[in-house]
Amino acid sequence: MYGKGLRALSIATIAVMAIGLGLVFFYAPLDAEQGFLQKIFYVHVPLAIVALCGFVVGAVMAIQHLRTRDSRWDLRSYVAIHMSLIFAVGALITGSIWAKGSWGHWWVWNEPTLVSFLIVFLLYATYQPLRFAIEDPERQARYASVFAITAGAFVPMNFVAVRLSTAYLHPRVLGNTSNLPPRMALTFVTCLLGIALLYATLCMYELTAKHTRAQLRALRRLTDVPAAGGGRLQTQPRRSRSAAPTLSSTTTMSARTAGRPGA
Amino acid sequence: MSGAVLGELPALPLHEAGKYVAGAYSVLFVLVLIYVAIMAIRLSRIERELGALLELRERSAVSEGSERSSALSGEPEASHPESTLA
Repeated sequence: MYGKGLRALSIATIAVMAIGLGLVFFYAPLDAEQGFLQKIFYVHVPLAIVALCGFVVGAVMAIQHLRTRDSRWDLRSYVAIHMSLIFAVGALITGSIWAKGSWGHWWVWNEPTLVSFLIVFLLYATYQPLRFAIEDPERQARYASVFAITAGAFVPMNFVAVRLSTAYLHPRVLGNTSNLPPRMALTFVTCLLGIALLYATLCMYELTAKHTRAQLRALRRLTDVPAAGGGRLQTQPRRSRSAAPTLSSTTTMSARTAGRPGA
Repeated sequence: MSGAVLGELPALPLHEAGKYVAGAYSVLFVLVLIYVAIMAIRLSRIERELGALLELRERSAVSEGSERSSALSGEPEASHPESTLA
């Protein structure tokens, strides 16, 4: 079950994020060049890193789905990508806010890091419409997995290509972590951990909600008991097309009876 | 003690950068808030569906009970509401 350990994970997330915020505003020194504006990096950079890692995690889970044909891996891949998209929106908005404060422009088109991140974001923005366009759940899951693997391979390639590019207008935070003063490095690592925990917690919430809905659907099918007179009780509403993966009732019920985690 | 700690703290935003920093952190807060609101809507939908399911189950249990009692007493079968039949 996905709900197991969710409370502890939520508490850990809140605690680490609170500590991170405290460190950002009351412990980390002001940057000599950017001053107070540099505090945006403690939220912007972790959001971008976690979003990109989430896309890769989604690809790994898609590989597992194609290998095992287990719909639960497709659900995990979907949730990882879905959550990464939300985090990528956060990274784009916070990055734009920083750019406006630092460069005086909301967006700079000749900056490779910004444009490459936008390309990755737009690529993954087509993931949901792709799923929605395919009605057959099995085909939908298979095509979505192939997409997730291809796009997931593109993420590290894109990262390396940007690193190799000559224009270095965008600050290199990750490459300079060792050069950061210890107080800034500690704050950055704490914030990164906090955002990673937030990602994991939200993924677990999403998975728990989807699993509960699948269980409810299975229960509805079970309670579709024959009524006296030969008729059946109407408990099953018509299902509309959805981009979200569906767990089959057999998967839901067998996982429940076997008591396996991650059902 | 607290005075010494406060003395060590860097100055809070009183210049131009303050609004940008506040905006960036607000984005994260708003995103999480929207997500929590969506989760609350989903949870209420699940709760509503479970309630409906429970109600249907109770209704079928009542109809089964009345059917059994009428069969035992030898009376003709009780009619069932049309709305519950497919």
